[in-house]
Amino acid sequence: MTATTNEIAFQSSQINGMNVHILPTKKFKTTTIVTMIEQALSEEHVTKTALLAMVMKRASARFPETKLLRAHLDFLYGAIFDVDVMKKGERQILQIYMEVPNEKYLSNEASLLEQAIEFVGDMLVRPYVQNNAFSEKYMAQEKETLRKRIESLIDDKMKYANQRVTEEMCKGEPFSLLVQGRVADLPKITGQELYQYFKEITTTNPIHMFVVGDVEQQEVSEAIRKHIPLERSQVGEPQIESTAKDVSAESEVIDRLDVNQAKLNIGCRTQITYKDEDYPTLLLYNGILGGFPHSKLFVNVREKESLAYYAVSRLESHKGILMIMSGIDVSKYQRAVEIIKQQLDLMRQGTISEEEMSQTRATLSNQFRELLDSARGMIEFTYNGVISGRPRKIEELLAGINQATIEDIKKVANKMTIDTIYLLRDKKGEA
Amino acid sequence: MQTTDFEQVNETVYHEALQNGLQVYLVPKQGFSKTYAVFTTRYGSIDSHFRTRSGEEINVPDGIAHFLEHKMFEKKERDVMHEFSKNGASCNAFTSFNRTAYLFSCTDKLDDNLNLLLDYVQDPYFTDASVEKEKGIIGQEITMYEDNPDWKVYMNLLKAMYQKYPINIEIAGTIETISHITKENLYQCYETFYHPANMLLLVVGSFEPEAIMKLIRENQGAKEFPPAPQITRVFPEEPSEPAEAKVEAFLTVGLPKCMIGIKEKENGLTKEALLKRELTTKLVLDIAFGTSSAVYERLYDSELITESFDFDYSSEQDYAYTIIGGDTPDPERLVETIKAEIEQLKQTGIAQEDFERAKRKKIGNFLRSLNSVEFIANQFTSFKFNGNDLFSVVPTLESITREDVEKRLKEHFLAEQMAVSIVRSSSPQE
Repeated sequence: MTATTNEIAFQSSQINGMNVHILPTKKFKTTTIVTMIEQALSEEHVTKTALLAMVMKRASARFPETKLLRAHLDFLYGAIFDVDVMKKGERQILQIYMEVPNEKYLSNEASLLEQAIEFVGDMLVRPYVQNNAFSEKYMAQEKETLRKRIESLIDDKMKYANQRVTEEMCKGEPFSLLVQGRVADLPKITGQELYQYFKEITTTNPIHMFVVGDVEQQEVSEAIRKHIPLERSQVGEPQIESTAKDVSAESEVIDRLDVNQAKLNIGCRTQITYKDEDYPTLLLYNGILGGFPHSKLFVNVREKESLAYYAVSRLESHKGILMIMSGIDVSKYQRAVEIIKQQLDLMRQGTISEEEMSQTRATLSNQFRELLDSARGMIEFTYNGVISGRPRKIEELLAGINQATIEDIKKVANKMTIDTIYLLRDKKGEA
Repeated sequence: MQTTDFEQVNETVYHEALQNGLQVYLVPKQGFSKTYAVFTTRYGSIDSHFRTRSGEEINVPDGIAHFLEHKMFEKKERDVMHEFSKNGASCNAFTSFNRTAYLFSCTDKLDDNLNLLLDYVQDPYFTDASVEKEKGIIGQEITMYEDNPDWKVYMNLLKAMYQKYPINIEIAGTIETISHITKENLYQCYETFYHPANMLLLVVGSFEPEAIMKLIRENQGAKEFPPAPQITRVFPEEPSEPAEAKVEAFLTVGLPKCMIGIKEKENGLTKEALLKRELTTKLVLDIAFGTSSAVYERLYDSELITESFDFDYSSEQDYAYTIIGGDTPDPERLVETIKAEIEQLKQTGIAQEDFERAKRKKIGNFLRSLNSVEFIANQFTSFKFNGNDLFSVVPTLESITREDVEKRLKEHFLAEQMAVSIVRSSSPQE
C-alpha cells in the first residue's frame, strides 16, 4: 500500500482584521479553534504576556466567575479550553485553544461550533474588567499560580537542564528568557496595566485564527464576523532580533543539585533557521545525528557503550539551535562528551552511510505525514510557515529532504558549532 | 471475520480469533494517513511468581517483564528498530503492571511493518553478553525515574496502599534486582507469557481490513507454536486495608507534591460491571473535584492547590484505586480539607444539575479522544483484557443514573481506605 499524499490546505481570509484559516475535513469528531497572537519575546513583555494568558482564562464579561465559565464549558460537552504561551525563536506566542465535539455525533444538539466561536470572542473582545482593569482577585491569584509554575521548573530535571543551558548559551539574547516569565516582574504588574496591554496586543499584534473540523467555511466566517468584532488598527509586525551569533570558543557550565542522574546538554548554533533554503538539509542532519533510534547518538552513546537511557538531539527551528541531551552517570561525563564530539566530527566529514540516509528520509517523511491526522499538528505546521515568512507545503519539505546529498549535509555540519556544554550533576564529589 | 458496528460513534471493529489463539482486532479510520499497530501480551511487572510450562513454581527478579521488553528489540545480526526506520515507521514498547505492548506507527509500507512486528515479537534472542549490556541502559532508566518527583510520589502511594499485591514494586525493578536477571530467566518468562493465546493484536488507522486480516492469518499460519500453556500466576492475598496511612520522600521540588489514594475495598468485578464501576467512579470524581466544582474553586482560592491538581481512577479486576492530588504548599492541610469535603458531599448529596453536567463533559471528552489513533490503540486493548469494548463507553455512560453515583460516593470514598504520599524538598533552604 502506498502512502496517500494529502496536503494541508487551509482556506485563508481576513476577518475583522485577523487572518483566519479554515480547514474543512471529515476526519475528526471535534472542531478545533486555535488563536495565535504574536509578540516579540522581550524582558519588557515576557511576564506580562504569560500572566495575561492566565488571567484571561479565569473569566469573561459573560462569565465573571471562573466556576460559571468552566460550568459552561462542561455544558458544551466538555469543551477543551486553555490559554497558554509558547516560545518560537525570539517570539512569544499567546495561544487560545478551544475544541468542541461536532454536534453530528450528539443527538438533538444545536450548533456547538457557533457557541465555541462566541466563547473565543468572549476572550478576545469581552473580557471581565472592573474600572478599566482586570480584577484584583484574579490578578493576585494568577500571579501566585504563575510564580509556582516558574518555580516548579526544577521538578523536571530534563526541562530544568534545558532551560539552564539556554540561559547560559543565549545570555543577552531574548531567547534566554523562560517563556513563563520572571518571578521578579510579577509584583509590579497592575490589573490596569495588564488590561491596557491586553487591548494593545489584541488590536495591534498579528493574530492568526485556525479552525479545523467538519465545518463550512461560510458558516465559520459569519460566526467569527458576528461574535469576534475586534477593532484592529495599525497591525504591525513585532520587531524580531536577528538570531545569528558567532561562537568564538565553547564554554562549559556545571550546576549542582540533589540528583541521581546527571543531565548532559550540549547547545550548538546551526546558523540555519526555518526560513532558510537549507532548512530541509538541517532536518536530515538532525535526524541522522540524534532524532531517531537509528541515529548516531542513540546507537553510539546508548547501544554501543550503554552510557545512557536516552541520547538525542532536537532542533529549535526558529532560533537555529540544535540541542543534544542525554542522561548519564556523572563518572561518564568526559567519555560521553568525547563520543558525542566524535559523532559531530563524523557528520562534518560526511561519514554517513546510505542506510542512515534512507532511514532518516523515511522516518522524517512518516513524521510529517502523521501531522495530517492531528488538527493541532496541521495548525502548528502551518503557523511555523506563517511566522517565519517562509510557508512550505509538506511535500515541498519532503522533496528538499529527499534531494539533499551527503555533500549538502557536510556543508550544514561545517556551519555547526558547539556553543555551551552543560552538566547538571549531583552535589557529591569534587567541586 | 466478525464485524461490529458502533453506530453512535461511527466506528466499526473487525475481529477474528486465529487458530493459534491470537485475538486480532482491526479498526479502520477512514481518511487518516497513519496506521498504528499494537501487539500486546497479558504479562506485566506484577507477574513475577508463576508456574512454568513444566509446572515448576518460580519467582523471578523484579523488573524482568520490562527487561524482556527491552531485549526483544535485539536480534542475532540485526536491530529491530533499524528495520522499522528503513520503512519510515516509528516503533516503541512499554511495560505496565499487567501488560507489555509492542507498537509502531507508519504512513507507508504497512504490510512490511506488520510482518516485522509479528516476527520480532515471536522470535526471542537473548545472549549473556547482550543481557549484561542492557543492565547499564536500564540502570540509567531507573536512575532517571528516581529523580522524577511525580513518579516517586505515585509509586510511594502504591506502596502505601498495597501491602502485598505486587503493584507496589517498581515496574523496571531496581538496579539490585535487575543485576540477577539471566538469559535463562528471560526465556522462561517468554515461553510462559508470549504464546499467541495470551496475546492480542490491534491495528487501527488507514487500511483495508480484509487484506490486512489475510496478511495476519498468513503470517501466523506459517509459524508453529507449542500448545498454549495453562498460565498459573501466584498472587498473595491482599488485605483490604492500606499498608500505611502516610509515606514521605525527599527530592528537590518547587512545591511539595501530595497524593491521596483510596484503595478499592472489594475486587473481582468483571466485564460490564467493571466498566460501569469505573465510569461511575470517574463521574463522582469529576462532580466532586472537577475544575467547575465548588470544591475545586475553594481549594484553588485558598491556594491549597495549583493547576497541577488532578484525579483519576484505575480499575482492574484484582485491584483498583483512586488518586487525587498535585502540588501544594501544605500537604497536611490539603489532605484534611479533601477528607472533609468528601464527608460534606456525602451529607449534601449530588445535585442533578452537577450530575448532568459531568456526564455531558465525559461524553464530549470521549468523542474527542476518538480523534486520536494513539488513544484508541492504547485504550482498546486494556478494555478488551477486561472483557469490554472501548466503543461502548458512551452507551454505558448514558445508562448511569444520579443514584448510581451517590451510591458509589458512599461505597468507595472511605476514610479508612485512604493513604497519603508526599514528596518535598529535603531542606527548606533548597
